[in-house]
Amino acid sequence: MNMLARKLIAKDFYLNRWLIIGSTVAGLVGLLIATEGEIRFNIGMLTWLTTIVAFGVVLAMNAIANERKDRALQFVLSLPLSHGDYVRIRVVGLLLCFLVPWAVLSVGAISLVTVLPNLPDGMLPIVILLCGFMLANYSVVLCGALHTTSEGVMTIVIIVTNMNVTLFIFLILGLPALRDHLHAPAPVWNSIFWTVLSVEIATLVVTLSLPYFVAARRRDFI
Amino acid sequence: MTPTKHIEMRNVRKGFRFFTLEDLSLDLEPGQIMGFVGPNGAGKSTTIRLLTGLLAPDAGEIRVLGHAMPEGQAIAKRDIGFVSDEMRLFGHATLEWHMQFVASIYPGWDPQYAKTLVRRFNLHPEQNVSGLSSGEHVKAVLLLALARRPRLLILDEPTSGLDPVARHELLGEFMDVLRDEDRSILFSSHNTVDVERISDRITFIDRGRLVDSSDKEDFLERWRRIQLQLPAGTKLPDLPHVVSRVVDGQFVTLTTNRYSPDLVSFLGAGVREVQRMSLEEIFVANVMYHRELRGS
Repeated sequence: MNMLARKLIAKDFYLNRWLIIGSTVAGLVGLLIATEGEIRFNIGMLTWLTTIVAFGVVLAMNAIANERKDRALQFVLSLPLSHGDYVRIRVVGLLLCFLVPWAVLSVGAISLVTVLPNLPDGMLPIVILLCGFMLANYSVVLCGALHTTSEGVMTIVIIVTNMNVTLFIFLILGLPALRDHLHAPAPVWNSIFWTVLSVEIATLVVTLSLPYFVAARRRDFI
Repeated sequence: MTPTKHIEMRNVRKGFRFFTLEDLSLDLEPGQIMGFVGPNGAGKSTTIRLLTGLLAPDAGEIRVLGHAMPEGQAIAKRDIGFVSDEMRLFGHATLEWHMQFVASIYPGWDPQYAKTLVRRFNLHPEQNVSGLSSGEHVKAVLLLALARRPRLLILDEPTSGLDPVARHELLGEFMDVLRDEDRSILFSSHNTVDVERISDRITFIDRGRLVDSSDKEDFLERWRRIQLQLPAGTKLPDLPHVVSRVVDGQFVTLTTNRYSPDLVSFLGAGVREVQRMSLEEIFVANVMYHRELRGS
C-alpha cells in the first residue's frame, strides 16, 4: 500500500472517528444491557444488531454518497490517483473503518454468550452467523454505494439490506439444524452452519471484488 | 530541446445525451496563462474534466504535462493544481487539517507560502470548513492548490461568486504563480474582465466547439468596430473579414476580425470612427459570428 493510500485511509478514519467511536460505544451498551434477564437480553441484542447495521449504512453513505453529493469527491480526485486507485482505496479504507466496531462488537457478543452462565453456548453458531451476515450485508451496501450515483438506487439498496436482517434472522431460526441446538449447553458446528457461513463469505468476496472489476474500470467518474 | 507542452489536446470528442464537445484541439505552453472563455454550457467544464482525467474522451488525444490522459492522470496530477468552483472540502474538518493532509501528499508543499496565503486571504486555519463563507471556501481550495506549487494550475471558474476585492486578490496570486517560467495556468471563466487582466493567450469556446484561439494582444489588435456614414443611396460592397454589419439609415457599424489600415483607406471618407473593442465585445462578436456560420 503506497503513502497516498495510507493517507486516504487515515482520512476515512479521521472523518468518521466519532461515528466509529459512537457506534462502538452504543453497541457495547447494548451488550451490557443484554447481560441480565430475557427482556433485557432481547433489548440489548436488538440495540447491538441495529447499531452495527445502521453504522454500516451511515458509514457508506457519509463516505461515498455524501462525498459525491457534497462535491468533496472532486477534491479527492484532484489528488494524484487514478479512478482505479480511488475505488481500491475506498474499498479497503471503508472496510477497515467498519471492521473496527464490527470486530469489537462481534468479540463482545461472542464473549457474552461464552462467559455468561445464563446464556447457553448453543447460541454461539447463531451469533457467529449473525456477525458474518452483518459484515456481508455491509459489503453489499458498500458495493452499491461505489457503483451507483443515483440516490434512488442507493435508497433501494439500503431498504433491501435492512429488510435482509429480519429475513436472515427468520431464515436461520427457521432452520431446524440451527434452531434445535440454540439452547444446547455446547455449540454444534454442523454442515448447515458451515453452508450459511460459506454463503456469507462468498457474498463478502463477490461484493468486495466487484468494484475492482466494474467501478474501478469506469472511464468517466463525475 | 523544445519544452514539453503543458496541455495538448488533439481532435478531442466527448459526447453526452444533449451535448457534444467536438473536434477540440488546444495547446498550452509552459509559462503561459490561457483564458478559456465561453458562455454557460459551452463545454469549459467538460474540457477541464477531460484534462484532469475525470472524464475520458470518446476520440482524440489528450496529453497533460507529457502524460496521456486519463491513463497517466495519477502521475500528471502530482504537478497539477486543480480548482473548480464546484469543488468542496470536507465540512467536518478544519482548514488546518486539510493543509496538513495536502502537505503530507505533495513534497512540493511550501509551508511559508501557505502561511502567507492564510494571512493574505484572511482565513482561520482552526476553523471548520463547514463554517466558511462561499468566498472563504474558494480561497481555502485555492490555497491548497497554490501552496503545493504545481507546474500547471487548472482553474474552472475560480472567481465566480467572489466579491471584486477577493477576485482582485486571487488574480494577483495567479500572476504570482508565474514567477517561474516553467509554470502555466488554464483559467476558465465567463468573466472576460478577469480573463483580460491576467491571460496572455485566450481561447473562446461555444456550444462544444472551439471558436477561436490566439494571443490576447493579437485579439485586441485584430478586432475593431468601424463606424461609417454613407452618402444617401450608396451601397456598401461585400468586404472580407467583416463579421457583422449593422445598418441604421446612412450609418453603418462594421465589426472586423482582421483589421488593417488598408480597410480604412478602402472605405474612404465615410469612416467616422475606428474603435478598439474590449475582450467581452470581441468574445460576443466572435461567438455570434461563428453561430451564424454554423447556421445555429
